[in-house]
Amino acid sequence: MKKKKTISIGKVFFNVPVALILIIIALLVLVPVIWMTFSAFKTEREIISWPPTFIPKTFTLENFVDVQGRINIIRYIANSVIYAGVTTALAVVVNSMAGYAYAFYEFKGKTGTFLMTLATMMVPFQVIMVPLFLVVYKMGMYDTYWGLIIPRVAVAGSIFMMRAAFTGIPKEMAEAARIDGLSEFGIFWKIMLPQVKPAVITLVILSVNGSWNDLLWPMIVTSSTEMRTLANGLALFIGQNTIEYGAAFAGALVSLLPMFVLYMFGQKYFVEGMSSGGLKG
Amino acid sequence: MEKIRKYWNRPSRSAYVFIAPSIILLILFNIIPLIMAFGLSFFDVPITMNHATFVGWDNFVEAFHDPRFINSLKVTAIFTGIEVPVQVLGALVIAAFISKNNKRNKFLRAVYFLPVICSATVIGIMWRMILHSNIGFITAALQSMGLGKINFMNTPGLTIFVISFISIWRSFGISTIIYVTAIQQVSPSLFEAAQMDGAGKILQFLHITVPSIRPTFWYIMMTRFAGALQIFDIIYVTTNGGPNYTTESTVSYIYSRAFSSNSSMGYASAMSVVLFIIIMFITVLMYRRMVKED
Repeated sequence: MKKKKTISIGKVFFNVPVALILIIIALLVLVPVIWMTFSAFKTEREIISWPPTFIPKTFTLENFVDVQGRINIIRYIANSVIYAGVTTALAVVVNSMAGYAYAFYEFKGKTGTFLMTLATMMVPFQVIMVPLFLVVYKMGMYDTYWGLIIPRVAVAGSIFMMRAAFTGIPKEMAEAARIDGLSEFGIFWKIMLPQVKPAVITLVILSVNGSWNDLLWPMIVTSSTEMRTLANGLALFIGQNTIEYGAAFAGALVSLLPMFVLYMFGQKYFVEGMSSGGLKG
Repeated sequence: MEKIRKYWNRPSRSAYVFIAPSIILLILFNIIPLIMAFGLSFFDVPITMNHATFVGWDNFVEAFHDPRFINSLKVTAIFTGIEVPVQVLGALVIAAFISKNNKRNKFLRAVYFLPVICSATVIGIMWRMILHSNIGFITAALQSMGLGKINFMNTPGLTIFVISFISIWRSFGISTIIYVTAIQQVSPSLFEAAQMDGAGKILQFLHITVPSIRPTFWYIMMTRFAGALQIFDIIYVTTNGGPNYTTESTVSYIYSRAFSSNSSMGYASAMSVVLFIIIMFITVLMYRRMVKED
């Protein structure tokens, strides 16, 4: 009996500080996000008052009007939607086709091409950004949507993920469909792709999140104001040593909101994609 | 047309149709640029980009005599030296505390993962403002606690720590979740046996959890190292290398030498190649540890 008691006292000594630390870390994550959200609705005067407030004294929407006046944020949003939307649509088709081929077909050069695909996963983007810019420039795609989108479509990690998903589907399904007279692409598109829906959703979420939040590539490959994406345009806006804090907060909130909604509904897929994607199979 | 369709519809042939788009894109936008990075590093490419002059090893010689490049390597090393150990060990400890699947832990995991959906721009605005010396909420909170007014974003020697902290803030959620998945796969009977032997939580962590998840540990080390050595976007949106170059990472410097008014693509490529070799060296080292532990 006595022994049990000492354990429970030890447990209290152990658990309370641990819970405290976990809560502090959670607050460290949440406080900046919440403060930024609140600040987007404060008046400029309240933002620059010292000491700063946490909860707005007066709610205003003027920052959201201001930001459109300072930068063409609606155009930036449209560009981000195009960039994320088209990249993702093409990425789903291209990467799942390749993943399917590596899972279902035997062909000459399979190992070679697959190893080559894997090898590209080891190449850091930052190392190839300069020549990649030159390639896109020489192809005449500089400062165009195609230049922005096409180089980001094929992703080795996504091919790898789709291959793993397709490997779990029995081959007999393809055989049966073949006997029914479906074309090879028909088998893939109509029969097989719906079987790996969770993997497709994960790919979509990873791709949308990746391109919506992408900063470096749009910065390299676009130059005109009309081509800027939201992440890129906002970064340049605050980079000018801006003192229009309200507009910056409002812009950041607008940029965060769609991903937040996506995260609320598809947290599972985010976690799955981010933690299993990459080198591990 | 029908003939072509029939020809390619044979399973053995259609495989090539299926992999062709990805292979073409990967060659064009990954493999060729990688080869070009090595090639370009031996050339002088002017800003007009219409010709290139072979200069041999000159770019590399110049790089190692360039104080700004050497400084950028130092900054990257300091950043990596703080960011990686704190994140890799911190996430492991946190993961051990929230690995059980209950309501509280699921909520905490969802919160910790939240920064992953924020773009570098959003993170930059958020942290730049909350640590701002004139409008920052945290600056004011610390001041009211008697710590004085700290200028987080503009103090040489301090700002690199702030950048490291923001970077950890951004991605510790992923590391934590990967650890949680690994810990959940450790056989519960091991923990039960240890509990019977009277081992406390800390002993269980050190003698069962840590040894069981070693491959995961090295996997996270490898990916975090590679990520940290390429740090760019967080710096770009917070300090852009300042104050006085104390937060200018190697990629930040490469970026400014490649895409600004004093653009020199050949020189930037040479520095990229040096960085690539460093990243590859460390990745291979970590990978071998990971495979050995597996």
